[in-house]
Amino acid sequence: MTSRLRNFLLAGTGAATLAATAMPGAAIAQDQPLVIARNLEINSLDPHRAFCDTCQIYLSSTYQGLVKLAADDRSVEPLLATEWTTNEDQTQFTFTLDPDAVFSDGSPVEAKDVKWTFERLKNIQADPSFMMNGLASIETPDDKTVVVNMENPNSEFIGILAAPYVGIINSDVAMENGATAGEDASSADQAETWFLANSAGSGPYVLDTYRPDDELRFRVNENYWGDAPPITDIVIDQVADAVSQAQMLQSGGADIAMQVDPDTASTINSPDITIETVPSYNFIYVMFSPGAQGGEMLDLEVRQALAYAIDYQGAIDFTVGGEGELQAAPIPNGFPGTEGLPMPEENLEKARELLASKGLEDGFTLDITVAQLNVYGVDLTLLMQKLQQDLARINVTINIQPVASAVWREQIANPGIPFSARFYAPDYFGSAQYVQFFGMLADTYWERNASGQGKVDLVNDRETELFQQALAASGDKMNELYHEIAMEMIKDRIIVPVVSPNLILAYRNEIEGVRYSACCNLPLAELSRK
Amino acid sequence: MSTYILRRLIAMPLLLLGVITVAFLLTYFTAADPLTSIIGERQMNNPAVVEAARERWGLDRSLPERYVIYLGNLLQGDMGTSFRTRQPVSQDLMVRLPATLELVIAAMILGTTFGVVLGVLAARFRDGPIDNIARFFALVGASAPVFWSGLLVLFIFSVQLGWLPGPGRIDSRAIAPPFLTGFYTIDTLAAGDWAGFRSVLMQLILPASVLGWTVTGIVSRMVRASMLDVLGQEYILAARAKGAGPLRVLIHHALRNAMLPTLTILGFSFAYLITGAILTETIFSWPGIGSYAVAAARGLDNPAIVGVTIVGGAAFLITNLLTDIAYALVDPRVKLSRQEGA
Amino acid sequence: MSVIAAPKARRRVFLPQWATLPVILGGAILLFWIVVGITIPLWSPYEPTMLAGMRFQPPNAEHWLGTDALGRDVLTRTLYGVRHSLPIAAMVIVCAVLIGCTLGAIAGFVGGIVDSVIMRLVDVTLSFPPILLAMAVTAALGPGLGNAAIAMVIVWWPIYARLMRAQVLSVREREHVEAAVAAGATRPRVLVKHILPLCWSPIIVNATMDFGQVVLLVASLSFIGLGAAPPTPEWGQMISDGALHFYRWWIAAGPGIAILSIVLGFNFLGDGLRDFLDPRSK
Repeated sequence: MTSRLRNFLLAGTGAATLAATAMPGAAIAQDQPLVIARNLEINSLDPHRAFCDTCQIYLSSTYQGLVKLAADDRSVEPLLATEWTTNEDQTQFTFTLDPDAVFSDGSPVEAKDVKWTFERLKNIQADPSFMMNGLASIETPDDKTVVVNMENPNSEFIGILAAPYVGIINSDVAMENGATAGEDASSADQAETWFLANSAGSGPYVLDTYRPDDELRFRVNENYWGDAPPITDIVIDQVADAVSQAQMLQSGGADIAMQVDPDTASTINSPDITIETVPSYNFIYVMFSPGAQGGEMLDLEVRQALAYAIDYQGAIDFTVGGEGELQAAPIPNGFPGTEGLPMPEENLEKARELLASKGLEDGFTLDITVAQLNVYGVDLTLLMQKLQQDLARINVTINIQPVASAVWREQIANPGIPFSARFYAPDYFGSAQYVQFFGMLADTYWERNASGQGKVDLVNDRETELFQQALAASGDKMNELYHEIAMEMIKDRIIVPVVSPNLILAYRNEIEGVRYSACCNLPLAELSRK
Repeated sequence: MSTYILRRLIAMPLLLLGVITVAFLLTYFTAADPLTSIIGERQMNNPAVVEAARERWGLDRSLPERYVIYLGNLLQGDMGTSFRTRQPVSQDLMVRLPATLELVIAAMILGTTFGVVLGVLAARFRDGPIDNIARFFALVGASAPVFWSGLLVLFIFSVQLGWLPGPGRIDSRAIAPPFLTGFYTIDTLAAGDWAGFRSVLMQLILPASVLGWTVTGIVSRMVRASMLDVLGQEYILAARAKGAGPLRVLIHHALRNAMLPTLTILGFSFAYLITGAILTETIFSWPGIGSYAVAAARGLDNPAIVGVTIVGGAAFLITNLLTDIAYALVDPRVKLSRQEGA
Repeated sequence: MSVIAAPKARRRVFLPQWATLPVILGGAILLFWIVVGITIPLWSPYEPTMLAGMRFQPPNAEHWLGTDALGRDVLTRTLYGVRHSLPIAAMVIVCAVLIGCTLGAIAGFVGGIVDSVIMRLVDVTLSFPPILLAMAVTAALGPGLGNAAIAMVIVWWPIYARLMRAQVLSVREREHVEAAVAAGATRPRVLVKHILPLCWSPIIVNATMDFGQVVLLVASLSFIGLGAAPPTPEWGQMISDGALHFYRWWIAAGPGIAILSIVLGFNFLGDGLRDFLDPRSK
């Protein structure tokens, strides 16, 4: 039945596609820039203040870290550092820099740049600064050797170094333009505006121009020390919504569209366009806050009951047309420790039993707010409306009030929201970030918010203990520990992942090398034209 | 007359100060903490990050302190830094103002030309079917929500027919002309970029038509009324008696005299165009003041909201002043009733 | 019986003067929407916020205007929309008229410092382009239909204050007012009994003509995400949904035509009224 509807739609838009592809501009000369249609939503281009999905694309193309995430999205490969060693207890890391590495102005990448970059990231106290948490000291015995000392064991440090926010900055150039790495960097650093017009890294591309809400333009780095990327000019064009992105793609105005949702993808039937669906590491979750105002009844059994009452597969079908995966714990599928975790299940019998055991078989009412957001193709309000229907089956009434995202972020802290939905995308490959954000360790983001800033005790001591061991472990041992932590997080029933939406990569057939990467979204240097 | 103009001129800076104060106060009392638009949610519980942001953006200061600092900076042309774009608000506005002006001027040209033609026709064929059709068309233009008519013309002319390009200011594959005036039509010509110029014109057609349509109605009604006024006057009758053809009379004598009141009405339609521009820019991804204002209001970008409101207010004040003066010059009777209000 | 008789008599006497085609057309459109707004829950086959069928159905026999991204019936939502737009517009106009007229009357009647303070406030408020001020206010108060309405009142009251003040100023010079003052009537009494009754007609005409603009501005604020929140079937909000799927043109078509028709209705009415009041423009 759906297919008949779909055929009808396709027939309807077929004419549009034909007309659109006949437009001038469909024939693309080789020297023309590659155009990516995307909603930019850039918060900054200063590597240490930026924190957004487009920032990941930008930073990973203009800057380079000591290491990089390999194409398998798991292992770490050398980049600016040719080799590195780690001491036994994961507190000291020693790197040897590549002697050939140079910045875009031709000057060599040296140990002092690494030291300066890490110290600025730590001292600037902005969104990505947490990546340098626990940094004790950095020594530079010579120009090409860096020794990083951490206060505590940190088995994920190498993984963090592959994150785009930790790319090495040309410290001389940055300092000339107002940047500083000193203790007072959070107030003394004046370089953010300069970074909006210039890049100072060693990556394959440099920043050409950035016009907010308009375009972000790259040009090839003339002094690039690696293999020159096939395409010299790349533009990310601001196109806010999925439909407009799809239209640009079909009319030949864009080569790649990055945020086409399944509904829109189903309307594209141009033979010139490739549509690929790949699993992503992003996920949408719901959370219960027993400490929030109006959430007092949400003790463990009730949370379990509500989680059993959710029709997970139905939610995936409803929000992303089936283009998504189930996810067990608030750690994305494929990250360390997630193998073999039990997937969430719908079980109305159990849900009713659990509620009855608390004398709540007649249900209760939750007044909740949800942010008006459409993330990774999922409309959060829409998702909540689906869950509203699910929970009505066990007599739980949900009153939904959609609010602006900023308002939601205030309310979640105070007075708290008993039940709501949110999203998460990884900053680097590693599971620690999830434990630090979702785990019921003292003072994590969700421990604070779910407990009503400490009104109820939700701290899970076992999780805390396992996490300390995980940070000091490596290899299989580390994976096992994260697996145990994930099991604890599932048992907590504070954070319940609902869907990991698939990513749709839509691009014109002549483009090659379009790939989704866990750290960097879309590696620009891998793109080429047939 | 001159005292009236003088009084209005003296009132200007005071009104401007009022505008600045109101805009500033409004953003101080926002429902949500502005920090939420500066810091990502993962760091909201991190005291060090929160503290650093408060200090950096001056949010730790008291209201009077911030107000005085803001006024002082404003005098030097500094409107603060946008939370969202992280660029000086004044710089953002400088880049975007020409985009909006280009759209509004194109809309005015299209809307006025069309309105004058409709008005002349309506006057010439008064009370006939053409008059009624012109009236209906004009009323629909003034009543249709531009955010819907914009979608509709995009769907029809861009998606279905493929005659005109989709949203944006210049073809996505073209490189924007080097900044000279910020008007892409002028800048592409100055750079000798004919393909670019053509692309810019094509991109302008749809949004300018949608926006221009909203003022067609006012203009055509005004032209029609003044034409009827003028057509009944003696010199027209005299011209006719001398044997001037009806078209010649219509264009040479009547229209010329009807233009002055029409020009003044354009000033009044500025408010329409501002409203329309904000919505049109949103539909057509036009990187102008309007879409900037919408993004700022949605994202609680306080410095940008204040900046854009002040600039909008100042533009509105100046246009109103010019219109009033022009109007007073054209029709001395207006002077008294306006003075009472002001 | 008199119900039947009245229109007959009226038609004979007034038809040539005010019952022009635009006025009749405008009146009919508005009557339609008012009737729909009051009676829709009685006869609507679907609920405005509930699933009514498969998502994204183009217009068909069961769903005349198709269904939206949530499988809700677009026609039902469009018709329900009037229950938000008209009452809000009416509320905004009534509040703006009440506040504006009260302050305007006080300013005109009391004069002096009070007059100056009120009128400077009016001047500053009128210095903003209406939509920018409305946006700044809703941004400050937080998005929502109620806050959008408050913003509109803030935008609109000064127009009536100015109008009322001018009226009061001209009426207070008339003989019967001076006579009442001479007879020893208290000042509030003079204002309420002798001045205000003579000031209303231009205000009412103006308010009628502004109605359509208020409907349009409320929808505009919702469209840019500062007004009604989903799942409210508000027209601007629905068009904003439709814009996200604009290949499915029918999602925005219903609310678009609804706004167009209602604003057109008020403009027809206003246009006809103006012709009637100011024959020069006819």
